[in-house]
Amino acid sequence: MLMPSPPTPFDPRHACIGVTRADTDTHLVWRPGRGARGLSCWIALPPNVASSLDTEARPLVAVHGIHRGARAQAKGFAARAGIQQRIVIAPLFDAEAWPRYQQVVRKGRADIALLELLRDLHVYGLVPTERVDLFGYSGGAQFAHRFAMLHPQRVGRLTLSSAGWYTAPDDGAFPYGLGPGTGGDSAWGPRLAARLDEFLRLPITVAVGARDDVVDQNTRSNKVLDQTQGRTRVERAARWVAALDRAARARGLSDPDLRHELLPGCGHDFNDCLTRGGLAALVLPDSAN
Amino acid sequence: MHVIPLVSTPDPARNAKWAFSTRRVPRDRVAGLGPVTSAIRSGDVILGRVDRIGSHRRIQLASGRPAELYEGDFVVLACGARYAPDQFEGVAEIDPDGTDMLAGGGVLGRMRARHARMATPTRVVPLGLLRDDAGAAINLADHALAERPRPSSGLTVIGAVGASMNAGKTTAVASLAHGLVRAGYRVAALKATGTGAFGDFNAYVDSGAQVVADFVDTGMVSTYGEPLERIETGLETLLGYAGAQGCEVALIELADGVFQAETAGLLRTSGVRDGFDGILFAAPDAASAVGGCAVLRDMGIEPDVVTGMVGCSPLATLEAESAGGVRIVTKDTLADPAGAGAILAEIRGKGGVARKDRAA
Repeated sequence: MLMPSPPTPFDPRHACIGVTRADTDTHLVWRPGRGARGLSCWIALPPNVASSLDTEARPLVAVHGIHRGARAQAKGFAARAGIQQRIVIAPLFDAEAWPRYQQVVRKGRADIALLELLRDLHVYGLVPTERVDLFGYSGGAQFAHRFAMLHPQRVGRLTLSSAGWYTAPDDGAFPYGLGPGTGGDSAWGPRLAARLDEFLRLPITVAVGARDDVVDQNTRSNKVLDQTQGRTRVERAARWVAALDRAARARGLSDPDLRHELLPGCGHDFNDCLTRGGLAALVLPDSAN
Repeated sequence: MHVIPLVSTPDPARNAKWAFSTRRVPRDRVAGLGPVTSAIRSGDVILGRVDRIGSHRRIQLASGRPAELYEGDFVVLACGARYAPDQFEGVAEIDPDGTDMLAGGGVLGRMRARHARMATPTRVVPLGLLRDDAGAAINLADHALAERPRPSSGLTVIGAVGASMNAGKTTAVASLAHGLVRAGYRVAALKATGTGAFGDFNAYVDSGAQVVADFVDTGMVSTYGEPLERIETGLETLLGYAGAQGCEVALIELADGVFQAETAGLLRTSGVRDGFDGILFAAPDAASAVGGCAVLRDMGIEPDVVTGMVGCSPLATLEAESAGGVRIVTKDTLADPAGAGAILAEIRGKGGVARKDRAA
């Protein structure tokens, strides 16, 4: 992340939200985390944000994968979000404070860090609504779906892309399922289970590159996981959506709003999914709000 | 009615220390003083002079801070009763020669019993009833919230009851309110019974709850000895107020323990009991947790959350849970947005506090 050159003319609101640097061409601004556990983020603002921000539109929170490319997340959705007069918030879960942010409730409590960031931004009017649209790529998709299972009241639309694996709506021990884990994990599965009805009522889109069917070094693999979820991201996405559909129907939700999308020609590459796979239109559909 | 005009300089009523219980009374309504008679009612507002400092060395001011009391201070308090097993029991009666300060929040009455550790009450000489320019005695009920029913939908109501005073009810309500607020909910923290004081009120404010109110806001300085119908109306009004402010969740504390007359009476009133979507029970120790839950079950109530001081002790928690039928939730879990959200979802999902066997 480089300092822009020449110096950026700041929107007056930038100083207020604690922005320290900005890119003129993309309307990206960087907000460093505040306080001991403050979450930093890139924010993509529509042009002339002070006058054009749609105060009724839900912001998009886009969560990076394990390479922690938060800026790429904000930049990737900036143009389409700008047309919709929405902002994009791309938090950066740094490796030291949130080494396992994908599992949400581990060291640093990534879920609380995001809730607090949203509260901060609400103060400045950048998060005007109770809910945000939530997107995550790869490890970010793991975070996003677990966050939404834990805090469904804060999510408007959930879009996942290319998650390595999922927490299933079944009795398996958390984080594989919603049953009690062992030791310090014992409470988390039941907490997610308590919110399952609310979660299943969310509009959920699960995307994965059609060619993302290679087991690589970042693909978690063990006997139980491979048997229950499949071996590749493509298999796992399909099985998870099917499991959500069964869980929803078992609860009497006859028409769950679930979509499963294969992104044509895409492997496990965010930019590829974005440019070739049409990911932005899935994340920010025209009828998003 | 003869009204004794107030002298203008100094103005003893306006410059007195107004107690928290009188917070809703506008100062400019005061036009004079009337005599203290046997016709005095609970909630009537009294100007008094501190005669002798006793157990209460401070008064809780309407502004929300405590103030030192000195002998000779002018104070404004409300006539009322009090029920506090670890302090005083007293009634809404005023002796013109000197009466008892039953609560630091501003309750004057006649003490009938006190805990062995309590000194005698601070004594106050009543100088007169505050009256308006029409000669009417000023009563807290004159400035209460307008009566209204709870909203027909959209508000989840969670009652908080305890085994006793100091069981941890207020901490539990404040913790849960805080957790829910952090999770993004709009929350009301309310108190339906008890004695006017700012301790619980301020704890609720500090929790971040968007709406905070208590029975004083419905015109009662204390609910001890009040007709259940009046308390029930006050409870409905608090919930109606919370709903009108856009709250999604109302946490409503009932004072003291489940054996206290008004608390037990409310819980046995089907309209109140069935109006709770969930019940949070606070207990100081393992025996109280198990025994209190049994009492509630006898009333047809299945507590959703058992918490309180018992949760501070891993051993007491183990004892209670080993005895069966009880799962202890710590205040940290209540204050955690994920923990609070899960508790709310469980309560919303089960459809009321009624025990399954009673509902069947």
